Amino acid sequence: MKHSIALIGLIGWTSHACAQAPESISEKDFLTEIPIVLSVSRLPQRLDETPGAVTILDRDMIRRSGARDVADLLRLVPGFQSSQSYEKSPPVASYHGAFDYYSNRMQVLVDGRSVYSPFFIGSVGSGLQAVAMADIERIEVLRGSNSAAYGARAFLGVINIVTRDTLDTLGVAANLAAGENGIQDVQASIGWGKEEARFRLSGDSKNDDGLTGANGFNRTNRLNFRADLHPDARTDVQLRAGGLMIDSGMGGPVTDIQNPLRSISYDSSYVQFDWRRNLGEDEDLAVSFSHANESYRDKYPLSLRSIGIADSVTGLPLGIPDGMVVDYGSGQSGNDAVSVQHTFRRGSALRVVWGGEFRSEQVTSKSLYNTDAAMVTDFTRLFANAEWRIAPNLVLNAGAMAENSSVSGDSLAPRVMLNWHMTEGQTLRAGVSRAFRPPSAFEKYGNVRFVVNGRLLQISTLARGNVQPESVLVHELGYLGDFPKFGLNLDLRAFHEQISGFVLHKQYDLAGYRGLVPIRPWDYTNGENFAIHGLEYQLKWQPWRGAQFVLNQAYTEIGSKDVDIAMSAPKLATTLSFFQKLPGGLDLSLIHQDSGSQSQLGAGGKDDVAMTRTDLRLALPLRFGANRGELALVVQNLGLPYPDFMPEFQFQRRAFVTLRIEN
Amino acid sequence: MSLFLRSLLLSFCLICFAVEVSSAHAATVVIVSSERSPAYVSAAEAVISELERNGVSRYDVLQLTADEWSTAGPLAPKLFVALGSAAASALAKSVTAAPVLCTLLPRSSYERILQASGRKSSSQFSALYLDQPLSRQLELIRLALPEVHRIGVLWGPESQSQASALKTLAHARGLELVEASVGPDALLFPGLKGVLDSAEVLLAMADPQVYNSGSIQNILLASFRAKVPMVAFSPAYVRAGALLALHVTPTQLGQQAGAIGWGVLQNKAMSASPLYSRDFSVAVNEYVARSLGLTLDGAALRERLLRREGSP
Repeated sequence: MKHSIALIGLIGWTSHACAQAPESISEKDFLTEIPIVLSVSRLPQRLDETPGAVTILDRDMIRRSGARDVADLLRLVPGFQSSQSYEKSPPVASYHGAFDYYSNRMQVLVDGRSVYSPFFIGSVGSGLQAVAMADIERIEVLRGSNSAAYGARAFLGVINIVTRDTLDTLGVAANLAAGENGIQDVQASIGWGKEEARFRLSGDSKNDDGLTGANGFNRTNRLNFRADLHPDARTDVQLRAGGLMIDSGMGGPVTDIQNPLRSISYDSSYVQFDWRRNLGEDEDLAVSFSHANESYRDKYPLSLRSIGIADSVTGLPLGIPDGMVVDYGSGQSGNDAVSVQHTFRRGSALRVVWGGEFRSEQVTSKSLYNTDAAMVTDFTRLFANAEWRIAPNLVLNAGAMAENSSVSGDSLAPRVMLNWHMTEGQTLRAGVSRAFRPPSAFEKYGNVRFVVNGRLLQISTLARGNVQPESVLVHELGYLGDFPKFGLNLDLRAFHEQISGFVLHKQYDLAGYRGLVPIRPWDYTNGENFAIHGLEYQLKWQPWRGAQFVLNQAYTEIGSKDVDIAMSAPKLATTLSFFQKLPGGLDLSLIHQDSGSQSQLGAGGKDDVAMTRTDLRLALPLRFGANRGELALVVQNLGLPYPDFMPEFQFQRRAFVTLRIEN
Repeated sequence: MSLFLRSLLLSFCLICFAVEVSSAHAATVVIVSSERSPAYVSAAEAVISELERNGVSRYDVLQLTADEWSTAGPLAPKLFVALGSAAASALAKSVTAAPVLCTLLPRSSYERILQASGRKSSSQFSALYLDQPLSRQLELIRLALPEVHRIGVLWGPESQSQASALKTLAHARGLELVEASVGPDALLFPGLKGVLDSAEVLLAMADPQVYNSGSIQNILLASFRAKVPMVAFSPAYVRAGALLALHVTPTQLGQQAGAIGWGVLQNKAMSASPLYSRDFSVAVNEYVARSLGLTLDGAALRERLLRREGSP
């Protein structure tokens, strides 16, 4: 049976068998109506009928990968680049190009809530750390632009993280990891509940010493709560709340104001409320509300002499002390979102989801915007997507999202995709979509200046506000082949992604600049138009019982004249994974990745590096009374260190042991 | 007039009145329904239609609810048809001269009624079951999901009695059972989790302790997440999200009951041992099937099952 993806979130379970005080069996058991459970919005779309390429990373895959966070796991998705660096942001992953430090052209959702950070230029980094790996049921990675369904931030793709149902996590569970490079992870969750209400509280702490050469120590602490309530047979309510705290080392030997050795901290918290009602056999209504806060702290003492100001600047006015406290990017952001979604079907041929969302984002940072005022961006979105079964073997997905951004006006992101089941198990997909990404508040209004005692030291960024939304026009061709007889499964995507007005940062001469540090500030502008084209595939093969080979390959050609941009994805990246169940329940994973030259995230073409990494995992199942568990040895990067993020940051071998106790 | 004559006259009048009453109720067939909700009405209607087809007048059939039956006067039909457990129970407790056919009730209800009333199944008191024979359920799984070999079953206190029979039938077909028992006041989750971990399909066996309107959401969602489709016993479960259901409709059951009834009116003895329905339906949730990558046709499955059973 094929994998499929959920259109909309999930709900859970109640545990007690007899809350209804059932009577003896009678004809009532056979004749009475019961509430619709797998209703129109909960029924997923088959992978060969989705309007785009989808890679599913399920619990089993997550476990067998040995990955400690989502960014590292995304290496296993064709077309993805990812990092383990905490230097500018928590580790990021990007699709078809690591164009900057933050990765701001992908949407990340956790149970339907966007965890994309509007801070800085926008980033997926903190969102990828939102939940512990043990809390994840599966990750649906929508490869390719998906703004028609998810808005501007799904410019190049969507990472949809679905957490485990509270049904599946009743009782106590724990995970431990310890090993080289200061790896010390502790996670525990407790689930409880009864018929109408069940809950989970999960907390964890993830620690390591980071990349060799970086100012490494990374500490991630999380607490997440989820409640599934079932007030009546037709209504589901879910409540979620949680917090994330990341402390990490940053910077290097002092060379400029912005990058001395220091530690930074990032905190976020959220509440989320989802309500869904089944209006009938063919109709559901869902309402969601969420609120989240982020705070980012990056303050450090700095000696001006250490960055050469006292030596190089003559006539240093009296009254400027050598020591100062630099605030580089500290601030807060908040966002509120409310959405309504109506899903219905007409006959067996048409399924429609439509709705609207209002989202307000506020970023307050004196150090990023040179004002105490909040930068407010409001998004108003209206969307509709229809799945029309034209014939039993032909499915048309058509949809669009109209979005108004208070910063950059209106845009419309349409998509049309045709899926043709050529033969049993073989599907050809072709379609076209268009998407816009409005500039973030920072790209539009960034104003980063360092002042001491009223004297301007430097202006690092002064956005002139001319930047316009960038757009992408995607043509894609997909093929899905399932050959159960041979144990083969192929997912192939050929793409042509024409980007217009690509937003990039550029230094310029600021007229009348009087900073003590001679510098050209950065601006964000619309650069050239270029196309990303290529082909990627994932081939799965089960040659014998208990074994699976997975081969991913991505050929990506970024047609930019700018070498930094052109090299932001490797021309060829290959990952070969081998999973084998061994006698005695042992579970072996071997994952080898070979990525061609790529410019480091935002660092420029001069620092191109290739990456070769092999991971090994050997796991032994355990039993603790009624509980199951697993003891595993993981060795990440068996071979030589490879550079990550910057040439001087190295991913060394990391061997560690994990112990898992299931609920 | 002497007291004797007066008494005689009064008796005569009373007898005349009684004859009058009974002729008003001179029904050949009395259908006693547990209640008047749609399923019972459909079944009763089908019984009557089948009798009508054979020339019995609609006016020769009297319909009562179980409550009305308990207060009704003496009736002398040639056949009683009890629709539902309450009706069957009421008739079982009464002394009736005519044969009683209990239908629209599952086997375990019927057996419980026999036990409570001290009756034995006979040609005078027999049943046509609402639930479907285990062998038919297994055959449906084999037809619809030929690759499935491990069938998950959650037994409750009421359904447990069928466990050994199902196991024998499954083994005979090369199928394996993955079972869990849910005791009274027990948690359903651990058993379900164990079953879903290794089964390829979940065969629902009616038992209100396990399958009720409060638990069904969780069972269906858990089985869907585990990609273990449910084969259920009622079309309501299919509407709710089960992949398949093998069931007999009240109309199908009523027709067969009508045919049996016609036989009784023709002085043919009822089968002493209770029967399972000859006809049945297969309900498919095509949306669920599609999302699991399956193409199933309920009518075609029914035809194939019927052919396999050697029916026309």
